[in-house]
Amino acid sequence: MTGRSDAVGAGPSAPTAGRSRWRDSLIAWSFAAPFVILFFVFMAGPILVAFVSSFTDLRVTDIRNPLAIEFTGLTNYLDVLSDARFQKAAANTAVFVVVGVPLTIVLGLAVAVGLNQGVVKARTLFRVGYYLPVVTSIVAIAVVWRLLLGTDTGFINGTLTIFGIEGPGWLSDERYALWSVIAMAAWRNLGFLMVIFLAGLQTIPKDLYEAAEVDGAGPWQRFKGITLPLLRPTMLFAAVITGIGYVQFFEEVYVMTQGGPLNSTLSLALYAYSQFSFGNYGYTAAVAFVLFVAIAAVTFFQFRVLRES
Amino acid sequence: MRTRGRSGVIAVTLVVALALVACGRDDDDGAGGEASQAPEVDTEGASGEIDVWAMGAEGENLQTLADQFMDEYPDITVSVTPVPWDAAHDRIVNAIAGGEVPDVSMVGTTWMGEFATLGGLDPTPANIDPSQFFEGAWNTTVVDGVSYAVPWYVETRVLYYRTDLAEDGGAADAPGNWDDLKAMVQAMQDAGAEYGISLQPGGTGAWQTYMPFFWQAGGEIIGEDGSFTLDGEPCVEALTYYDSFFEDGLTPPAAEDVPVEGRFANGEIASFISGPWMINIVKDAGTEEGTFAVARQPSEEAGTSFVGGSNLSVLEQSDNKEAAWAFVEYLMQPEVQVTWYETVSALPSVTSAWDDEQLSGDEMLSVFGEQLEDAKAPPSIATWEQVAAEIDGVIEQVTVGDMSPEDGCAAMQEAASGIGTGQ
Repeated sequence: MTGRSDAVGAGPSAPTAGRSRWRDSLIAWSFAAPFVILFFVFMAGPILVAFVSSFTDLRVTDIRNPLAIEFTGLTNYLDVLSDARFQKAAANTAVFVVVGVPLTIVLGLAVAVGLNQGVVKARTLFRVGYYLPVVTSIVAIAVVWRLLLGTDTGFINGTLTIFGIEGPGWLSDERYALWSVIAMAAWRNLGFLMVIFLAGLQTIPKDLYEAAEVDGAGPWQRFKGITLPLLRPTMLFAAVITGIGYVQFFEEVYVMTQGGPLNSTLSLALYAYSQFSFGNYGYTAAVAFVLFVAIAAVTFFQFRVLRES
Repeated sequence: MRTRGRSGVIAVTLVVALALVACGRDDDDGAGGEASQAPEVDTEGASGEIDVWAMGAEGENLQTLADQFMDEYPDITVSVTPVPWDAAHDRIVNAIAGGEVPDVSMVGTTWMGEFATLGGLDPTPANIDPSQFFEGAWNTTVVDGVSYAVPWYVETRVLYYRTDLAEDGGAADAPGNWDDLKAMVQAMQDAGAEYGISLQPGGTGAWQTYMPFFWQAGGEIIGEDGSFTLDGEPCVEALTYYDSFFEDGLTPPAAEDVPVEGRFANGEIASFISGPWMINIVKDAGTEEGTFAVARQPSEEAGTSFVGGSNLSVLEQSDNKEAAWAFVEYLMQPEVQVTWYETVSALPSVTSAWDDEQLSGDEMLSVFGEQLEDAKAPPSIATWEQVAAEIDGVIEQVTVGDMSPEDGCAAMQEAASGIGTGQ
């Protein structure tokens, strides 16, 4: 940047060039300042404080008496990792990621490919229809799904009753609750991935398909040989964004199940939230950093698998 | 899909909390030791302005009492700020941390331990006579031997049952002990109810239904030495009894998404245990008068129920404590307590207010009045909400899951001991 502005300044003498470089960098920094200040005040600072407090016994009852706060080393982290509810939450969150991410990607990709080729009429209607859940408030969606999935008064079980089937407790039975919540999340998020994949599909040159067709490749071969490899960067983006979303799974379970029944839908974020509302700030900070490590690990894994070789 | 980091949000809140520490005054709350109340506060010549926070219907209607108060004390101006229940806990914590507090605040009984340990509440002065309140309600104000509030209004849990079903089943009398209750529930189910009773299978607040049985079996949440005593014989008995309704199919096996009052009105659910607010809800749901009644909790070692409600506290950082206590004192007058019952149906915490015809003349309300004489609250400790969540979880493991009552008791005790009392 400074190199180019030297040319613009066109000053022949060295002192002018130096001053102009200094002035340019000042201007540059002043443009960057709003971000830099906000970043340090609202991101880097708090993260540092949270990191430090994750090694203390800070509780809500200490906030008027900071001298009572003591450093407890790794105690919080050891307590977090050995807590049975945390382990349950971690296992559930792993299921959210391992099942939810591929499911959402497959559904999103299927819809995108379908809309990109097959559906010609009313294409916009379908795009809007699939995308609408993404822009709708999660809380509103979760409330409606809770009504749909109700055991006794729910629409789904009500419909099943007409055919003489007694539907299970979709949200009140621990065998089904987790899958019900994942199904809802996949339905809600597939619209976002559909848009991403549609954009990715637009970048694949049409003549590749035509050439393949001339060579006698069927639809499945064309999909496997052209679409999938060329969508790889899009796939990585979709996997990372969806993965982070599922690791931080919160609103859906908060509204629909509060983590129940029997903690079968308790997510890591909901676990952290409950600890925070109990006033265990130091402990919650430790949970937050464990969550951070989990997100980093999931993302790293996705990069390793999907990165272009 | 959400991309903002939840850990980031938590971190931001943490830094705010830490930053506020610097602003808060560091005080040693000089009230420790034996004295359970602070010296008398001179409320006679009080003047100036006070700000009062209250939640829910109380917050919306308190201004009427404040207006009457200002007629009697023209030198004091009271302004009421309604606070939504959802936000109340955090707002009070933030207010105490930041030093920008109301002078008087309504405080949920289970928050007392936390706020008092925080150093945010003013010890109750000797002007307030503890003997005027129901004992169980007064005890909710006491943290570590010191009272930090007055009970404002109370509620307790009793048995609601369908008298017509009970008569059909040949069990018309209110149950005396556990066996009676079990027999009555069975009889009402045999008389045509789908379920003889509806007990909460777990989830938030299940401890409020379970804990009375624990007390009835002779249990105490905290023992003489100040540590938890949630396990042992009383727990096993109570949890076994509670679970037996689930084992025998006398109560819905999982949380239902239909409100209980509708099922009660059409006779599908024959009984349930709840608080005074259900009287009107049950009537509004279409239950005909004369077909249902309320009865005291069954009695084993004791006939104890749960006492809830709300307290009124003067904040430690208030700069007009005289006027604040004057207002609290006013709200404790029996006539004012009766007016408050007329305004928002909140049951008086002051026992003499129950002499009023509106309360003593009402058959159902007098059952609540009697039950309040034998009602307890959990100890006011800073960590109670967290302990309660663990108890709720164990109750669910026992009733819905396949944990045995013995293991459940051990799990409650272990979890509670791990959390501690926060002292």
